[in-house]
Order: sequence, then C-alpha cells, then structure tokens
Amino acid sequence: MTSRTGLGVYFALLLASWPVQTEAQSSKSVTITPVQSLSFGLLVPGRREVVPVTDMARRAVVALSGQGPVDVTLVLPSALETAAGERIALQFTAGDAALLDTGGNSLGTLDPRQVNRVQLRNNRTVLFVLGGTAVTTTTARPGHYTGRVALIVNQPGT
Amino acid sequence: MNRTLRLFAALGMLALPAVAQAQTSITGSITATADIATVWSWGTVTALNFGSVVPGAAANATGSIALSRNVGVIYSLPDGANTGKLTSAAGGTIMPTFLCGVGSTATTIVTSFSSCNGTGSVLTIAAPAGTVNEFVIFQGSLSAAQTNTVPGTYAGTIRITATPN
Repeated sequence: MTSRTGLGVYFALLLASWPVQTEAQSSKSVTITPVQSLSFGLLVPGRREVVPVTDMARRAVVALSGQGPVDVTLVLPSALETAAGERIALQFTAGDAALLDTGGNSLGTLDPRQVNRVQLRNNRTVLFVLGGTAVTTTTARPGHYTGRVALIVNQPGT
Repeated sequence: MNRTLRLFAALGMLALPAVAQAQTSITGSITATADIATVWSWGTVTALNFGSVVPGAAANATGSIALSRNVGVIYSLPDGANTGKLTSAAGGTIMPTFLCGVGSTATTIVTSFSSCNGTGSVLTIAAPAGTVNEFVIFQGSLSAAQTNTVPGTYAGTIRITATPN
C-alpha cells in the first residue's frame, strides 16, 4: 500500500466513523418535558410558604427520559419578581427535589442545589419534582410574581 | 507510512479522546409563580356615642372603624350632607359638627378628610409599603343649643366607602 493509498484509507475510516459516533449520541438522547410549574399560590405578606416535594398540586414536575447516566443541574432563582421588579425571596434546601417513577413512587430525594446524577434506563420516563420555600415580607406588594428555574441535563461522556 | 500519514494518524489519535469526552447537554425550564393577595377588610367598629346628654350642655364623642389594607384607598361618604345626621322616633333631627379623617389609632386624626359631609372622594391615599391597619375616625360635637331640644333617642349612621386605589 502506498502512502497515498494509506491516507485515502484513513480518510475513509474517519468519514465512516462519523455516522457511528452520531448514532451513538442519538441513541443516548435525553428528553426534558416540563409537566407542571412550581406554584406557591396565593400568599399573605410576612409569611413563609413551603411547597414540599410531596405536594402534588403545587410542586414542579419535569419528565425526563432517555438512557444512561445524566447529571441534572438546576439554576435556581433567588426570588420571584413582578414585572415592576418587586420580589419574593425563594429558598431551596436539601430534600427540595426528588425523583419519582411515573407511578409516583419515590426513587430518591435530591438536593436541588447540587449536581445530581440520575440513571435513566431503557428510555423509561422518570419525574423530577421540585419544591421550595417562598418568603414574603410584610411589605410585599399585591401582584403576580414569577420566576424561572433552568434545568440542565448533561450526559457525561463514556 | 510516510511522515504525512504518521502525522495525520497522530492527529486522529489525539482527536479520539476529545470525541469520547464529548457531552450532550439539554436545557429545560420550569416556571415558578406566586401571588400576593390584596389585603382589604374592615375591622373593629367603635360607635360614636354621645351617651346621655344633659339638655343645654355641649357633648363630644368619637367613633371609628378600622381598615386593614395593603393597597391605596379612596374614601368617600355616600350619604353626603346627611352623613351622621341624628334623628329621633318623633322626627327630630340633630346634625352634629364633625371632624373626620384617618389615623393609626382609633382616637387621633392624622390626615383629615377634605369634608365630613361632602360628596365625591374626601381623601385619597397611595399604596402603603406594607399592610397597614388604619382607622377612619369621626369626632362629633353637639353644641349646647343643639342639645336643648326634645328628649328622646337620636340615632344616625356614618357610612364610609373605601375603594381600592
């Protein structure tokens, strides 16, 4: 084999490897489907309102599905805000997140402040749920407060 | 294998670990919401009661009603000129003289109404920083001439409308 021929074979092998790599990535794809918002409801000024992960009506729910280990990271807001910039402080502690199966059975409690490794199996859906605490001050103004929790699911390399 | 091919092979080998370490990352978002309620409720009423008045003697009394709120307010007196007018079963009437306004206690007026018997809004207050317990206060006075009248029980009503502002 000449060097030129060898180079051609090598190119061919490299090109041939790309679809395999792409296929490997797609078979490990993960989907995130927001199911329910974290809803503290109607609050009174000067109170703490806790939404535990067991509160089915008010906790946030996100469906995850895929295959293999994933690292779930949350970017948690420090406050809910009105359009005018008024704020309600939010607090998250260990145990404010959990993983459930689709039957609602707990697969474990998670700390939403940490990166949590979750093992996804056979493209079955698991539910990531999030609670939290809203702390209103006595000076909190009436209105609708919103915030956004970013959920980053990272597939570690193999 | 010539030098070019070896170099290319080496580059290929270097590239492989980078591919192996590649990660797939996707991002979703969750909405979080809360609503702060409007606090708006009337509270304790203290009747403005002159009590038993000696005919020909002046009399004074103070009445109030509490309003708890965390929004601004517009006060008005729907009965206008008849606000607080006292009438008896026999048909006698007495119109006390009033001082009126709001305060943080049930007895001391801090901000006066523009009128105690006017129509339309008599006081507008902007939203407070937080929930306040405010008192609408009416201080009534009967002159000696007014009490020198037909005996009987005289009663009336002070009606106040508070509209969120």
